[in-house]
Amino acid sequence: MDVRFKRDGIALIVTIEGDIDHHTSKILKERIDSKFIIEPVKDMILDLSRVTFMDSAGIGLIMGRRQRVSSVGGKLSIINPKPEIIKMLKMSNVDKLVRTDV
Amino acid sequence: MQPVNKMKTEFISKSVNEGFARVVAASFVAQADPSIDILADIRTAVSEAVTNAIIHGYEEKDGIITMECILYSDHVSITIEDFGKGIDDIEKAKAPLYTSRPELERSGMGFTVMETFMDSLEVESVPGKGTKIHMTKQLEYR
Repeated sequence: MDVRFKRDGIALIVTIEGDIDHHTSKILKERIDSKFIIEPVKDMILDLSRVTFMDSAGIGLIMGRRQRVSSVGGKLSIINPKPEIIKMLKMSNVDKLVRTDV
Repeated sequence: MQPVNKMKTEFISKSVNEGFARVVAASFVAQADPSIDILADIRTAVSEAVTNAIIHGYEEKDGIITMECILYSDHVSITIEDFGKGIDDIEKAKAPLYTSRPELERSGMGFTVMETFMDSLEVESVPGKGTKIHMTKQLEYR
């Protein structure tokens, strides 16, 4: 599991690599939140192209980040989810709450 | 129906074993040559069941979790059991978005995911004794 960051204007692009589960999500959340605080950004883009597995812990991670980003008036979006991740996003209705490119 | 193959594994309730359990279950079922979608569903459901045992059954303290997989010609049966706290109200626990531990920023979707991704789900739980989750998945689309 790893996470990489890039800034594009007022958006923080977060690329998560590897599995998102209960085990990895705690450290992922900490790393994403601390980067979001120090960078001069308002929006967040979660790039899921390199995620190899995601269970409902990923839904918790996405909804928690959505809340944080909204609290500073920003928007969260999700890009490049794989088919099995799209299934999870649709099942939990996250695709209706967060902008996704699916 | 006669089982084609069977395995049982036991591990400690450490969160790193969520990944171990789903990889082991998927590897075992892979011998039946199911579709990638079916394997992905099984991996996800196993991950949810093991995570529930770790977070709720043992409240993130050490305990034993067992996983048994029985392969039949057309389906797989997976039983994940813990000997922890148990669930007082199974129907409440299964309700979408319900979580007994909101501080963990969990989605409350664990049982909903298991029900959606598998073909059957049964939960047996005795408060103070533990929880057994039994799931089946057809290996071919009917």
